[in-house]
Amino acid sequence: MSRLTSSYRFRLPLALSLTAIVTAVFMAAALGLQSLHNLREDQGRNALRLAHAMSHLLVGALRQDDVWLAYSLLRGPDGADGTLIWIVADADDRVFASNRPRDFRLGQPLREALPLIAEMPPAADPTGTVIEVREADVRRVLHLPLFSENTGVGNLYALLSDEPFLHRFHEVVLGGVAVTAAVLALLLPVGWLSGRRMVTPLVDLAQCMARVGRVDPRDMECRIRTGDDEIGQLGRCFKGMLGALAEKAQLERRVVQTERLAAVGRVAAGVAHEINNPLGGMVMAIDTYRGGGPLDARNRQLLDLLDRGLRQIQSTVSALLVEARADRRTLTRDDFEDVRTLVEPRVNRRGAPLDWHVTLDAATSLPATPVRQLLLNLVLNALSAAGEGGRAVVHVTASDSGLCMLVENTGTPLPPERLDYLFEPFPSSRGDGEGLGLWVCYQIVSQLHGRIDVEAVGAATRVRVDLPLHPEIER
Amino acid sequence: MHPCSRRAFMAGLLAAAGAATSPSAVRSAAAANGPRRRAPLRLGVTPVILEDRVGFLNRWGAWLGEHLRTDVELVQRTRYREIVDLLLRGRLDLAWICGYPYVQHRDRLSLIAVPRWRGQPLYRSEIIVPVDSAAAGLSDLRDGLFAWSDPDSNSGWLYPRFKLRSSGQDPDRFFRRTIFTWGHARSVQAVAEGLTDGAAVDSYVRETLLLHEPRLAAAVRVVERSPLFGFPPIVGGPSLAADRLQRVREVLLGQDADAEGRALLADLNLDGFAEASSALYGDIAAMAERIDGRQPA
Repeated sequence: MSRLTSSYRFRLPLALSLTAIVTAVFMAAALGLQSLHNLREDQGRNALRLAHAMSHLLVGALRQDDVWLAYSLLRGPDGADGTLIWIVADADDRVFASNRPRDFRLGQPLREALPLIAEMPPAADPTGTVIEVREADVRRVLHLPLFSENTGVGNLYALLSDEPFLHRFHEVVLGGVAVTAAVLALLLPVGWLSGRRMVTPLVDLAQCMARVGRVDPRDMECRIRTGDDEIGQLGRCFKGMLGALAEKAQLERRVVQTERLAAVGRVAAGVAHEINNPLGGMVMAIDTYRGGGPLDARNRQLLDLLDRGLRQIQSTVSALLVEARADRRTLTRDDFEDVRTLVEPRVNRRGAPLDWHVTLDAATSLPATPVRQLLLNLVLNALSAAGEGGRAVVHVTASDSGLCMLVENTGTPLPPERLDYLFEPFPSSRGDGEGLGLWVCYQIVSQLHGRIDVEAVGAATRVRVDLPLHPEIER
Repeated sequence: MHPCSRRAFMAGLLAAAGAATSPSAVRSAAAANGPRRRAPLRLGVTPVILEDRVGFLNRWGAWLGEHLRTDVELVQRTRYREIVDLLLRGRLDLAWICGYPYVQHRDRLSLIAVPRWRGQPLYRSEIIVPVDSAAAGLSDLRDGLFAWSDPDSNSGWLYPRFKLRSSGQDPDRFFRRTIFTWGHARSVQAVAEGLTDGAAVDSYVRETLLLHEPRLAAAVRVVERSPLFGFPPIVGGPSLAADRLQRVREVLLGQDADAEGRALLADLNLDGFAEASSALYGDIAAMAERIDGRQPA
């Protein structure tokens, strides 16, 4: 419950609804009280007007002791159903006539029939007064003294109560309540929905923010509104922050990867160097031993075995020690054609089509040999990853600043966790080959001060190589 | 709003206004055909029959005028005395009055016809109380509030006073307070609405009221009935010539033979008109002599 009440998702619509309800209730109450006040005033005014209209005839009736005339006047058209109670008292303060003859008996002392008369101020305005009293069912008393030639002949009283218009007042209040309820029935859902609409982007934003730090910012998919209002601004800022975070994470990963690969490279170079020296000696010793004299078949076989083993070690070590050898010849368009020709047999055997797009107009300043080896390795890798029914695409474009090579293949996409370790030598998951192809590629690119990236694009895997034409300037 | 209540209210206003302003006359429309006739016949009406029935009176006046071949002017007054005064002074030719004023002035008035109600030219005085009253008779109304209908009414004044006097009571002190309502129907109303504890009324008016205002008439209960008296007659005044009187009598006696006349009678809850002799009012005359002996017989 506390979570519900603390959430703006509920508090805002609730506040809107409460505002509507409180406003409606106060409006209804104010209107009801005002109409009650008006009804009371009207009642008093109308009663006084009627009293004045009757006073002349009542004076005559009193003078002539014509009870019936006074009674039929007071009785009026409504008879005993009239809502006002009229009483005429004679000069001796005895009931002379009333439209409630059973309650106010003819000749009865008025103080006995109507005790509240005793509490009323005696000196009344000759034009009539309406006095507020606090009785159970009588709220106001009208008093009009009856005069004949400045001589009092009696008094006319009217007892006014709220009862006649109380049901009208109730109707007004009930009508107000009904209208209010109807309007609220319309307004509340609208208020609730608009409140929800206002709050939903905030809630989405909050949920998204809660995931920052736990989820890789590049993988975060957030529904964020970017309107012109404050929430929209907040959303935009948050989106910008997410982008910056993702960039930073990407950068950090690359730095870690580069450092790791550099360390691996140093280890490999050191090991290779330490191995190469004794290896050269061993190979030379075997040659010397062979040239020493005739060997029997068994020894020759043994020496051949050793020789092959050592040379395999030698080739592996030299593969680890990738050296972009100083090559005078610079890269031309023909080099790309050569690579294509070299992989052609593989293409035919595998059956994987190869799209080849090379846009290179002039010669470049890049050395030909390492770039050729780089592209060859990448294309062979792509063809082997594409497998049966897959396809490989090669895009080479050159600009003033550098050369861009894209090698893409369809087929089984690489799982994301493998992308991080793809360029390390002897990747454990690799099933075939010696496992040094991409390592070699990475080394070449590093030595040419370029950059190599692998990414999964849908079902395809894309390797992108950027080689600067003027590495000195870049650095 | 109840139609009765409005009528009663208007009646009150009319009664009050009538005292000061000119007499309100109900003039029947002159017959559309035929030559202009003699001076109109002026007929006075009192609350011995139901009041405030302008539509009925117009129709009855027209019917009479047609059969009498003269214009008939109907004059209505609330108080019997006014009608009797007008009649005696020759301002009215004939009037429908109570038996009591008739016996008071019978030497100057001549009987024309008497209505038949339930086959007889007779009615009673009745003492009524509210239905929820515990009173069982006139004697239970001692020190109560009582409504007389008119000081010239037999049923609403003479008989109850006679009755009290007969039982050794002073009619002026027996009740705590009395009022005049100037009409039997209003006396019924006064009792029904609790203005008074009892009233003396004309049995014909009360029973006819049962047909027209059943709720009002049902709110009262009859606790005492008088013997039968002669029904309020239609009498001619000193100004009415004998031939005219005879003509009016013929028309009235024949009213129940005429379809339209019968409808009018049915509207009045009457059967027709009969010839009558002053002997019919002997009881009333005897009571009047007893109550106000000084009045000329």
